[in-house]
Amino acid sequence: MDATSTLRSIAKEVLARKDVACLLGYEQGSYGFRVAPCVLTSPKEVDRLIFSPLCVHNLTNYLTLENIGLLAGKDIGKGKIAIVVKGCDSRALAMLMAENGIERDKLVVIGVCSPGVADMKKLEKRFPNVVDKAAVALSNGTLKVTCGGKTEEVPADELLSAKCTRCKNKLPVIYDELVGEPEEGRPDDFADVSELEAQNIEAKQQKWQAEFSKCIRCYACRNVCPLCYCSDCVLDRLRPQFVRRSVTYPDNLLFHITRAFHLAGRCIDCGECARVCPQDIPLTELNRKFQKDVKELFEYEAGVDPEAQALFATFRTEDADEGIL
Amino acid sequence: MSTKRIGVYICHCGVNIAQTVGIEELKSFAATLPQVKVAENYMYMCSEPGQELIRKDIKEKKLNRIVVVACSPRLHEPTFRNTLVSAGLNPYCLEIANVREQCSWVHKDKKVATSKAKSVVAAAVTKVALLEPLEEKEVSVTKTAMVVGGGIAGIQAALDIADSGFKTYLIEKEPSIGGHMMQLDKTFPTLDCSACILTPKMSDIKNHPNIELLAYSEVADVKGFVGNFKVTVKRKPRYIEEAICNACGTCAKYCSIAIIDRYNEGLSKLQALHIPFPQAIPAAYVVDPEECRYLKEGTCRQCEQVCKELNAINLDMQEESVELDVGTIVVATGFDVFDANRKPELGYGRYENVITGMEFERVVSAAGPNQGELLINGKKPKEVVFIQCVGSRDKTVGNEYCSRVCCMYTAKQAHLVREKLPDAKITIFYIDVRAFGKGYEEFYDRVKGESVYYRRGNVSEVYKKGDKLICRAEDTLLGKPIEVPADLVVLAVGIQPSAGARELGKLLKLSTSPDNFFLEAHPKLRPVDTGSDGVFLAGCCQGPKDIPDTVAQASASAAKAVIPLAQGKVKTETMVARVHEQACRACGYCVEACPYDAIELQLQEVNGREKSVAVVNEVLCKSCGACTGVCFSGAIQQTGFTDDQILAVIGAIGKEY
Repeated sequence: MDATSTLRSIAKEVLARKDVACLLGYEQGSYGFRVAPCVLTSPKEVDRLIFSPLCVHNLTNYLTLENIGLLAGKDIGKGKIAIVVKGCDSRALAMLMAENGIERDKLVVIGVCSPGVADMKKLEKRFPNVVDKAAVALSNGTLKVTCGGKTEEVPADELLSAKCTRCKNKLPVIYDELVGEPEEGRPDDFADVSELEAQNIEAKQQKWQAEFSKCIRCYACRNVCPLCYCSDCVLDRLRPQFVRRSVTYPDNLLFHITRAFHLAGRCIDCGECARVCPQDIPLTELNRKFQKDVKELFEYEAGVDPEAQALFATFRTEDADEGIL
Repeated sequence: MSTKRIGVYICHCGVNIAQTVGIEELKSFAATLPQVKVAENYMYMCSEPGQELIRKDIKEKKLNRIVVVACSPRLHEPTFRNTLVSAGLNPYCLEIANVREQCSWVHKDKKVATSKAKSVVAAAVTKVALLEPLEEKEVSVTKTAMVVGGGIAGIQAALDIADSGFKTYLIEKEPSIGGHMMQLDKTFPTLDCSACILTPKMSDIKNHPNIELLAYSEVADVKGFVGNFKVTVKRKPRYIEEAICNACGTCAKYCSIAIIDRYNEGLSKLQALHIPFPQAIPAAYVVDPEECRYLKEGTCRQCEQVCKELNAINLDMQEESVELDVGTIVVATGFDVFDANRKPELGYGRYENVITGMEFERVVSAAGPNQGELLINGKKPKEVVFIQCVGSRDKTVGNEYCSRVCCMYTAKQAHLVREKLPDAKITIFYIDVRAFGKGYEEFYDRVKGESVYYRRGNVSEVYKKGDKLICRAEDTLLGKPIEVPADLVVLAVGIQPSAGARELGKLLKLSTSPDNFFLEAHPKLRPVDTGSDGVFLAGCCQGPKDIPDTVAQASASAAKAVIPLAQGKVKTETMVARVHEQACRACGYCVEACPYDAIELQLQEVNGREKSVAVVNEVLCKSCGACTGVCFSGAIQQTGFTDDQILAVIGAIGKEY
């Protein structure tokens, strides 16, 4: 059975449970390669569910919304929320739980052993202007792309999201139900970060000045981030005003640096911020640098161990003391 | 926001400030700052006429915010707060601009120092305008004290607190109080018998109506705060009913298990069922559960048969937990003797006739294994060598400090050898002799006159040659390597913090200094206080001390510990952390960050919706600000240091003046 069929049969059982109010999953989008998040409330709806390398979204973001009913378009009532998570998404769940952001017993976690999701920007570049609904499947390192009545095979690493090419957590860290079997994880040596670190300070400054000058302060990166869930964000505040709202390089810089600091030891590398950025700012690079530092300084990886305390909730006198900058 | 009427008062501090900061220039600058109504200067602002200047202006010119431009707030903030109070102003409407430590003392160029002083004053004026009056609160105090550790420090502290009329719990982890002092033979420089001067105090502990002794017990948990500590004490099973046992000792005669006698430093043996030493308090026997045949193997119980009449033996005794409410705590956890095995070149553990200073005390003690006769392997030594600074002043073992007792106890021990063996050759290897106490130099002089050879040099090796030990060293006064033969080598081992006290330190949130002893609140002015209010230090847990210093410090900490008990109430911190419930997302980072367990998450109704929010216990909060540092949403703010205030200060300090 493929992932979608297994997912549907599990979802049917889960939605039939009396204590479950709804299920957060993915459905076919309205055009091209698009897949959309959906909220199901009845076992009858399970045929809408799909799972493929196009299911890029980290759905855990919806859990911290005040009212998921807004997404469902109706009142979902009280009860547990079932959620479909990939390995990376499950790490967000672990972090949210460590921060009391969500309660474990209010969730039914359907873990999917995702072999990888597509980098939508690369995919749409390779297959431009696809309007009709298209499909993508991944097996044995090959991505089968079906669009316009033709199926083309592409080596997966060419089109996979970078986070999937270095993913150690193919098996979700938290799940009640499991779809598929995990492939072997890949080692993450932070080669990408080391490469950036090696640049001289002028080159770094030039690069980030150019990147942050492009920012239009749409806040999509913050809003899509599963761990940016303060209902009253300190960067929105007028008194005291830490960051001005003007769309200028210094204020953009301050905004992104603050966000990166707030995610130090918390970012679980789902890559959603960079995916949704309309200006193609490589935001994950900042977070990756923090991930590397946090791992080297504190031997900590966010969300990998669901039992672990959050990094900032722990203090040991023998902690590294070199500062992060 | 109502307008503020700010007064700025610039102190010359004699020439301390005036020499490097242009006072007149600073004064005219201050007068131009927003809302400043008065800018004055004076030679010593902290003097009575200086303070009167402020009081007068508060009354006459209706000032409601005061900036004192002077030294560090650590010194005179309380002084000027009182000045404000005496003029009818809230004490928290004060800001200190530190232009002494931050300007005049660290700069030479008057122009630069003056310019920096302007920034510091501008920042203080900006901040004082944002300060709000705060109310001081008080909580009542449980009028009992707890002393942890029953050595001479703990005994003295407990007696003094109890004599002041307050109930005192004395907690001792061993089956008897007495500590290391009980093991010593004679005490320097007066040569009193250690046990003779200690045991009367031990009896006083037992008989004092205000003291409850919990021996063979350990502190398992401490909650609460000054005036209201809740302590959980773990009482280890003694297997003998303390209240019933009359210490007749018949039972021990029937106990066939021999164990190492720790009181005699392992130089003799006693039974698994034993009394630690004859003068033990409580005067009750104890069963060593590690060695007792019944407790280990489930058979025997002979002792119980012997004590049929009193029925004091109860081998089924279980560990108990006792809860105590106490107002203040004195920590007197003492020390461990340095482990001489860590200096293998000195032959300890390899040669039987290399012993530590503590073992020497037992060897020469009348209550020791040889009834006081100085015998090594049954023979009187002819040549005795003492080696000083073993485990002290030694970076190789991580102990840079001087243990402060070894010079004198070695002199005393050399004297005892001379007394017992008039013909012995006695050599002492030393680095420097430190004889700093009252009567110490005189005693050292006396010992030198008793044909004791003091040789300046560190012994690098002790090795065996025939039936003699050879101590190899460089005599640094002669500048020559020397070898001194010995039949007995005594290592003057130093003092280390008690390993068992580390956990207690964590429970009481005590800091340690780099030498791992507990850290006092101020090395000179608050030597027995700690960073935790209501917790005081006595004796060697704070640093190496001899008996006179230990007893003096114990009495000092008792006097300090009595203050809150006598007052019956304590003031709580005013500049506490406050939570903005709407912004709080209950992530709990502040709960974990708080070193005082002052924050917890509670369900509260916020804007008609029930949600979990951080709640600060204002009595426990110590205003450290750790919580504000970890709050992502800025929901937790420390009074007097809010984001608003700090940003305004940064803004003011960043401007050019």
